[in-house]
Amino acid sequence: MRYSTFNQTNVNPLGEPMFFGNPVNVARYDQQRHSIFEKLIEKQLSFFWRPEEVDVSRDRVDFQAMTDSEKHIFISNLKYQTLLDSVQGRSPNIALLPIVSLPELETWIETWSFSETIHSRSYTHILRNLFSDPAKVFDDIVMNDQIRKRATDISKYYDDLIFYTQLWQTHGEGTVEVEGETYQVSVRDLKKKLFLCVNSVNALEAIRFYVSFACTFAFAEREIMEGNSKIIRLIARDENLHLTSTQHIINLWQYGDDDPEMKEIAEECREEALEIFTSAVEQEKGWAEYLFENGSMIGLNKDILCQYVEYIANLRMAAIGFEPQYDQTSNPLPWMNKYLVSDNVQVAPQEAEISSYLVGQIDSEVSAGDFGDFDL
Amino acid sequence: MNSKLKVKVNKSQVIEVDPGQPQTLLEALEQAGVETRYHCRSGFCGACRTTLISGEVEYINDPLAYMRPQEILPCACKAKTDLEIEH
Repeated sequence: MRYSTFNQTNVNPLGEPMFFGNPVNVARYDQQRHSIFEKLIEKQLSFFWRPEEVDVSRDRVDFQAMTDSEKHIFISNLKYQTLLDSVQGRSPNIALLPIVSLPELETWIETWSFSETIHSRSYTHILRNLFSDPAKVFDDIVMNDQIRKRATDISKYYDDLIFYTQLWQTHGEGTVEVEGETYQVSVRDLKKKLFLCVNSVNALEAIRFYVSFACTFAFAEREIMEGNSKIIRLIARDENLHLTSTQHIINLWQYGDDDPEMKEIAEECREEALEIFTSAVEQEKGWAEYLFENGSMIGLNKDILCQYVEYIANLRMAAIGFEPQYDQTSNPLPWMNKYLVSDNVQVAPQEAEISSYLVGQIDSEVSAGDFGDFDL
Repeated sequence: MNSKLKVKVNKSQVIEVDPGQPQTLLEALEQAGVETRYHCRSGFCGACRTTLISGEVEYINDPLAYMRPQEILPCACKAKTDLEIEH
């Protein structure tokens, strides 16, 4: 079915499924089949922030004082997060917008991707401050084997869905030959690819960020790299919201509140979906190992980090109806929560009482003792 | 009228909550020393998702995270009747 930017058939958006119904025509939000997406849009908009609002200049001094193994941990995490947000800043748009059928979900996808582009811009903001020429760090992202390995796994479900959607939209269902290769295209099969893709994105939002978040917040616990931590907190808050949206999509499908065919597919692909999740968990543990290969950092080591991944994976799996797979039922990094609390995120970051804002400023707290050596 | 509500947690501990207080169920659990799980504390991430075995809660904040029929988000609600929950 060829995509139309303004489908002129009169469709009832309340009767459409989330995906693979009619293309959206009027961007209207007066009535919604799944009003949750409209609420998520409002929440995301209320979270709006810009990286430039956060002063990271103090981090440069902290960074220079770090050991080499700590620098490796810090920079590798930034590279990995840059990769994740590079993918997420474009892929939901490219993969999901051509097949979405509800106006509120279409706008949510756009809002979601947009917020990821802000994250990408923050990594440049952070790196520019640490290096006079951050190009080397960015260049390494496509050359670093550890990152490439993860990039393949993250992008393959998206790429598969995008390619088959293109075939379907230009040739329709049936056998299609492109550049000497034959492909079978059917809507049922496309829906399967969509289901797996959303599960892979869900795993990404659910756990892939958390190893780097934990390292960032562990630095902040030592009162270093606080500007960076301020930014990552804002990113973590956004990612939590994105995760809620993928959990909603998966649950709406599997509990039969959307397209009945997607409910069948959810049952059919349950094992595969579980495997996507558990393999993401294993990859994150592998990432923790890579981070600490040159030595650990104060407050964190590979084992605790792996336990944290398992703890959080259990929570995330329960949210989409899977049995918890890991033994870790208590939180091994209790201090993480204080960085993930949404209320603690300052609305105006420049007003925060972090050390970087006090440099070169006047401390307005004056006690009687300050006048001790004062004579008239 | 002092009408405290009872909340039974994980089949063992029973805590008392005052429905007149603005405190969320999550805060009440923390105050009673229950090991809680949470992230956002404002109803959108779902990390505190808890099974409601019996009773009724009312929401202080609009919950955005997905909940199945028997689930509640303690960070965004408080007890309306006596409760039994599995956190």
